[in-house]
Amino acid sequence: MSSDLDALMSATFHEAGYAHLVELVHQQDPGARRRLAAVRVDAYDAAGVRRVAAELDPAQEILDLDALAGAAARAHGRLLVVFDSRYDARVFPYRPHHYAYLHRRDAPGPPLYYAVNATLGGVPDRIGAVALNNFESYLFLERAGSERYALALGNLSRFAAAEAEVITYYDGARHVAPLRLPPKHHAEVALASERDGARLRRVELKALFRLTSYVVGRRAAAGELVLFDHLFTYFK
Amino acid sequence: MLGRLRALARRLLGVERVPTYYLPWLTRPGLECVVLLNNIESRFTSGRTATALAATLTQHDADGRVVAVHRGTLADSTATCEVPVTPTAAGHGFVTVEAEGIKSDLYVALVSGEAYAATHGRHEFVERYPAWTRALLAVAGALLAPAGRTVPAFTRDQYVYHGADSRSHVLLLNLSNVVNRIRVLATRDGARRARLVRVPPMGAAVVDVAALVPAAVSLEVTRLRLTGNAWFNLYLVGAGPRDLEGALSLMHVK
Repeated sequence: MSSDLDALMSATFHEAGYAHLVELVHQQDPGARRRLAAVRVDAYDAAGVRRVAAELDPAQEILDLDALAGAAARAHGRLLVVFDSRYDARVFPYRPHHYAYLHRRDAPGPPLYYAVNATLGGVPDRIGAVALNNFESYLFLERAGSERYALALGNLSRFAAAEAEVITYYDGARHVAPLRLPPKHHAEVALASERDGARLRRVELKALFRLTSYVVGRRAAAGELVLFDHLFTYFK
Repeated sequence: MLGRLRALARRLLGVERVPTYYLPWLTRPGLECVVLLNNIESRFTSGRTATALAATLTQHDADGRVVAVHRGTLADSTATCEVPVTPTAAGHGFVTVEAEGIKSDLYVALVSGEAYAATHGRHEFVERYPAWTRALLAVAGALLAPAGRTVPAFTRDQYVYHGADSRSHVLLLNLSNVVNRIRVLATRDGARRARLVRVPPMGAAVVDVAALVPAAVSLEVTRLRLTGNAWFNLYLVGAGPRDLEGALSLMHVK
């Protein structure tokens, strides 16, 4: 493998019971010239214990994540799934990115397409985020629904625990929830839909360094995912 | 190199690119569509003390016509404003947003009673072609259409997934003032099916992938190659067992 390759680490979460297909590279052309040089997948349980490890063929287009990690998810609960990729910057003038499909089997709701979180890029000036990218926000509709919201957060670092704050806003009232995630640990931090009669309007995530982060909405009764989206950072 | 050639071609054809923020919209009976205006970005950058901001949302229907102009006001950088989209018979299209000083991403939500799915818009551009170029493209397009082809100015590749209890649709947005003939080529397991979709200027179209390559019992991956004669973008529409009659999700792609 060439030493001139750049690195990208992206991550998602996988739960048992979901069809979950992840493209390795978005907009791969039919000639498959736009392929990664190498890609490895590891999956960790909430306590940071690695439960799945696999080297993938970079020519592969779609990964069936449930086929790879479904048994581990059933045995150990939600998994943090890490894609550790190498790519040639001449093939990808900007860092590669990828999307995924998520649908709970036999659920009445629609599937969700989402962008896989680019969490660590290896080389900072190659990931398009040379400034602060560990402060993110997300807004919610004001109307009352029956869904439950949370932030799914994971720490991809090897050695350092991440101190983070999840800050929620309820019509001006601010609520701060501190969080500490050791390496490869992950958690789903519940966001109360209401506080003192005011609706959840906004969430912010502040961390010492970039975490894997998704906004999660679940149908209250069945727990089925109805929202799985990235937050926004405005410090680029 | 390709970028320079494209820029040169645009100059020769007199194409103007107008910076535009746009979002898709989709309505169905029982499915409401709401745009969430905000300017939260300014809180973290230059506009912490921003005063009131006004936004104008122009709603284009599938045929490109303006069906409504909505206005929203933000009192400060943390304010939000929910703008319901006007339902139409076609039930899809896109909204362009004019709001001086707004740099934040705006959200669009599909609300189906007890829950909503959301995605965000794009700050890109709309292409404006002069009359003679529109005429040229119309002639070229009419010549190629009987063969199921189009002028291959822009191409996008996209994976879509569908099976027994889920379907995928592609919402095509024609971000130009010319008729955009978009060839949708679907490939799965070596089988190829193509369809030419005619999208009016500033219009939109929903393409049912399962109509191109029928949905299987198991979840299948279909590769799409979309080729248009003018600038376009697409959003993916996820549908459950009730297809477009049930709750839907929307997703942007780059």
